[in-house]
Amino acid sequence: MTEATPTPPASIPRVYDKGIRLLLPETTSIFEGTFSLLHCMVKGDTLYRAVYAQRLFPIRHPDQFISLHYTDIDDKDKEIGVIETLAQFPADQQILVKQSLRSQYYEQVIQRVIEISDEFGLLFLEVETQRGIESFVMPWRHDRAEDYGETGKVLLDAFDNRYVIPDISQLPPTDRSRFQKYIYW
Amino acid sequence: MVRAERLMVRVLVVLAVPDAMKLSHRGVSPTSIRPHTIPAGLESQAKALGITADNCLFCVPSDLALDGSIRDVWLVVTHTTVLTLSADATDGKPLSGPFEFTHIGKVRCFQTVGSAFLQVQVDNLYVNVVRYSNARRESFSRAAGQIERLVKHEPLQDDALTRKSDRTCDHCGLPLAGKESPCPRCSGHRGVFARSLGLMRPYGGAILLLLATMIAGVLLDLIPPQLTRVLVDKVITPKTNLHWLPMILLGLIIASGSRCLLNIVIGRTSSTVGTRITRELREMLQHKLMNLSVEYYNRHSVGSLMSRVLYDVDYFQSFVSQVAQGFLLNLMLVLGIGTVLFLMNWHLALLVLLPIPFVVIGTIFFWKHIYPRYYMFWESQSKMAQLLSGLLSGIRLVKSFGQEAREEKRFSGCAEHSRSSRRKLESGHATFNPIMGFVFGLGGLIVWYSGGNQVLGDKMTLGTLMAFFGYLGMFYAPISSLSMFSNWVTGFISSAQRVFEILDSSAVLPTATDQIHLPSIQGRIEFKNVVFGYDPYTPILKGISFTIEPGQFIGIVGKSGSGKTTLVNLLCRFYDTQRGTISIDGVDVRKVNPDDLRGQIGLVLQEPFLFRGSIAENIAYGRPGSPPLNIIDAAKAANAHDFISRRAGGYDAKLGEYGAGLSGGERQRVSIARALLCEPRILILDEATSSVDTESEQEIQRALSDLTKGRTTIAIAHRLSTLKNSDRILVLDEGRIAEQGTHEELMLINNGIYRKLVRIQTELTRLEM
Ligand SMILES: Nc1ncnc2c1ncn2[C@@H]1O[C@H](COP(=O)(O)OP(=O)(O)OP(=O)(O)O)[C@@H](O)[C@H]1O
Ligand SMILES: [Mg+2]
Repeated sequence: MTEATPTPPASIPRVYDKGIRLLLPETTSIFEGTFSLLHCMVKGDTLYRAVYAQRLFPIRHPDQFISLHYTDIDDKDKEIGVIETLAQFPADQQILVKQSLRSQYYEQVIQRVIEISDEFGLLFLEVETQRGIESFVMPWRHDRAEDYGETGKVLLDAFDNRYVIPDISQLPPTDRSRFQKYIYW
Repeated sequence: MVRAERLMVRVLVVLAVPDAMKLSHRGVSPTSIRPHTIPAGLESQAKALGITADNCLFCVPSDLALDGSIRDVWLVVTHTTVLTLSADATDGKPLSGPFEFTHIGKVRCFQTVGSAFLQVQVDNLYVNVVRYSNARRESFSRAAGQIERLVKHEPLQDDALTRKSDRTCDHCGLPLAGKESPCPRCSGHRGVFARSLGLMRPYGGAILLLLATMIAGVLLDLIPPQLTRVLVDKVITPKTNLHWLPMILLGLIIASGSRCLLNIVIGRTSSTVGTRITRELREMLQHKLMNLSVEYYNRHSVGSLMSRVLYDVDYFQSFVSQVAQGFLLNLMLVLGIGTVLFLMNWHLALLVLLPIPFVVIGTIFFWKHIYPRYYMFWESQSKMAQLLSGLLSGIRLVKSFGQEAREEKRFSGCAEHSRSSRRKLESGHATFNPIMGFVFGLGGLIVWYSGGNQVLGDKMTLGTLMAFFGYLGMFYAPISSLSMFSNWVTGFISSAQRVFEILDSSAVLPTATDQIHLPSIQGRIEFKNVVFGYDPYTPILKGISFTIEPGQFIGIVGKSGSGKTTLVNLLCRFYDTQRGTISIDGVDVRKVNPDDLRGQIGLVLQEPFLFRGSIAENIAYGRPGSPPLNIIDAAKAANAHDFISRRAGGYDAKLGEYGAGLSGGERQRVSIARALLCEPRILILDEATSSVDTESEQEIQRALSDLTKGRTTIAIAHRLSTLKNSDRILVLDEGRIAEQGTHEELMLINNGIYRKLVRIQTELTRLEM
C-alpha cells in the first residue's frame, strides 16, 4: 500500500498556511530546564515545560517534520507546533531535540538474520542487531511484520518489541532468502 | 528422511528456546518483581541512601537507562520514596530520584514507540523515573498502580505485584496468544497429523476399503511384468508354445482392466471422504469464526481469514487422498517391488538403488529452495485479490479523485509481481523435474548395461530383464512421488496449522460456569469504575461510573474519539473490561447468558451495515420470519416506511452490497427499524440519526419516545438538540465522565463542556437560518 509520494518541491506554496503552526528557529528556542526536561519557548506565546518530540514521518523524513508536544494541566496531550527542518536550528538545540527523539523511539535494527524456525504458529528468530546477537519470538502473522517504507519490514515480537529491517534488499542474500521464506508478504 | 529432518529442527528449537528467550527477555515475567528484598549488587548503594530490606517495599528490574542504552537498572520503591539504581553506577548515585511520595501528584506509564517511561508528576510536571522496553510493560504497569496507591496512602498489594503473568506460559516461558490461552507447547499439543487423522475417524469404513483396494492394486501391479517374462522367455524367444500367446494377452487385459476398476473405486471413495471432511471443517471454522471475540477481528485481516476457510481447507481433501493413495501406496509399491527386484536378481537390484542418494539430495534441495517459492506465489495472488477488491469497492473514490491511471499502475505492479513469482516457481520446477528424470534415466541405463551383459553372458534370460524393466518403471515413479511427498507435507502442515490456529484460538470471551438467565431484562445498567483499552496498556475509558434506571432515556455526548462507542461495545460485551464491572439488573454482564444479553439489546451501529437482500429481509434480520405487518410497523417507527413504499419494489426491493441503492440516511433508518423489530429491552443508538435531516430526526424521535416508553434507551449524538429531552446526559471527555445531568442542569455549569458545545451549535444553526 505504501507508495512513494515525492516530497513536493519547495516551489509549491502551502495552500493552507494556517494549517499547522511551524516552529521556526527565529521564533522558537529550545532548551533544557528543571529536572533536565526539554522546554520550549515560542515568541508571542508561553513557555512550555516537559516537552517531547515526535516524528511525523518517521520513515521517509526522520529529520524533518518533528512535532513538539507537551502534557497540559488536564493530562491532555497537546501539540505546540511542527519543526519542518531540524537542521535549520542551532546545533545545541538540534542535539536536545535529537535526544528527545531518541527517548521516543526504541527499536533494534536487524543487520543479519542468522536463523529462523517456526513452531506452534510462532517464529523463532536469531538476528544480529546493533546491540549484538539476540533472539526473539514473534507470532507468525501479517500484522506482526508490516511494511516499513517501501523496502523494509518492521517486526513486532510477542511482547511488542520492535525490530526493523530498513531495506530487505540490503540483507546478505542467504539471510534474505531465509527471511523471505517465512516473511514473504 | 525429511521427517527426520523436521524432527531434528523441532528438537533443536525446543532445546534452544529457553536459552534464547533469556537473551532478550531477561526477567520479563512479573514474578521477577522482588518484594521486600534488595537485589544483589545494589546493597551498598542502597545502604548509603538509607534503604534496607526493611523499608524497601519492592524492586522492579528494567533493561534500559533513560537514554536508551542497555543497562541493568532497578526501580526501587520504599515506604516514602521511589528511585532508580543501577549496579554499574560508578558514582553510587541513583539514576533518578529519589522522589518523595509527598511531592508526587500522579503516576503514569508514558508509552512511546518500542519503549515506555514510568513518570511521576512533580510540580505539575511529569518527570521520568525509569525507562523500560515493551517486554516489561506488564511489570511496570503493575508497579505504577502500586506506587499510585502508596502516594494515596493506600496499603501495598503484594499479590497484585507478583501474581503470575497472563502473557507468557508459566512453565516454559513461551508467549501466549492471549489472556488465559493454553500454552501450545505445554498443553500436550497433538501433532497436526494426528489431529488430521482424527478428523477421518468417522469415515473408518471408507478408509479401510481404500486400504484394501490399495493392497489389491499393488498385488495386481506385480502380475503384468511376470506375464511378459513368460511371454518373452517361453514363447517369443524359443518360438514355441504359440497357443500361450492369446492366454497371456488375456491375462494382461484382465490385470489392467481390474486395475482400472480399482482406480475408479479408490478415486470415488477418497473424493467422497475428502469432500465431506472439507465441508465439515469449513462448517467448524465458520462456527468458530462466529464465536470469536471482536478483538480477534482487530488482529486478523478479513482477507486472511477468508483464504483459510476457502483455500487452506482444500488441503485436507488432498490429505485424504494422500493418506489413502499417495503416501501409503507409494511406500507399499517401493517395498513390494523392491523385494521382487531383489528376489529376481539382487546384483541388478543393487544397481537400481544407485540413483537414490541423488534423489534424496534433490528432494532436500527442492524442499529448501523451490518450495518456498510457492509461498511467494500464493502471497502475490492474495495481494492481487486484496488490491482488486479494495479497488472495486472503492471505485467511486478512485473516480472522484481521478486516480484511475495510478491505480492501473499499482495493479500492474502487483500483476507483475505475481507473474515474476509464478515464473520463478515454474522455472524452478522446469529445471528440477527434467534433471530428476535424467538421474532416473541414468539408473535405467546402468541396468541396461549390466543386465545386457548378464543376458549376453547367459546369466539371465531376456524375459527376466524385460520384467525387471517393467518393475523398474514402477519402482522409480513412487520414489519420486515419495520425494515430492515432503513438499506436500510442508504445504499441508502450514495450511493445517492455519486452520487449527482458528479452531484452537481462545479469543472467545470467557463464559461463566454459573451463567445467569435473564429472560426479561428490566434495563437497570450500572458501570462501576470501568477501565478499558483496546491495548491493555493504553486505557481509553479511565474509570467510568454511572447508573441508568430502567426506562430512562440517556444521552451521551463527547468529542469524537472520547470513547462513546467503546462504552457501548463494553455494554454489549464485545469486549471485557480490564478493571471494574458492568452490570445489568444487578448481574455482572460477564455472567449473563450471552444470548439473553444480546437478544434484548438493540444496537444501531454508527456505520449502518446492510446485507445483500431485500429491505424486508434486512429489517427482519434479528427476527427472521416476522409477519409483514410488524416489519411495516417497525419501519414506520423508524420513519422509513414512506421512502420504502415509494420504491417500485416496496419492502421487497433488493439492496446491493452494503446496502447500495439507499442514501446514507435511509440506510440508518432501515437499521433503526431492524433494531426496533426485535423489541429490545435496551435500545442503543450510536449516532443512529446523524445522516438524517432534522425534520425526519424529530419524527423518529417522536415515534421512538412512544415506543421506547419503559425501555432503557442510550442515545449517542453529536447533534445535541436530539438529546435535549433525555432524562440525563453524560458528557464524556477523554475516557472520563466530565459532567452529567439533565440539559437544564448542564446548561447551568459555568465553563461546562456541554454548555460550550450547545452554544457553538446554536450559533451554527442561527447561521444556517
Ligand atoms: N478497535 C480499536 N482498536 C484500537 N483503538 C480503537 C479501536 N476502536 C477505537 N479505538 C480508539 O479508541 C478511542 C475511542 O474510540 P470510540 O470509537 O469509542 O470513539 P467515539 O467517542 O465513539 O468517537 P466518534 O464520536 O468519532 O464515534 C479512539 O481514540 C479510537 O482511536
Ligand atoms: Mg463512535
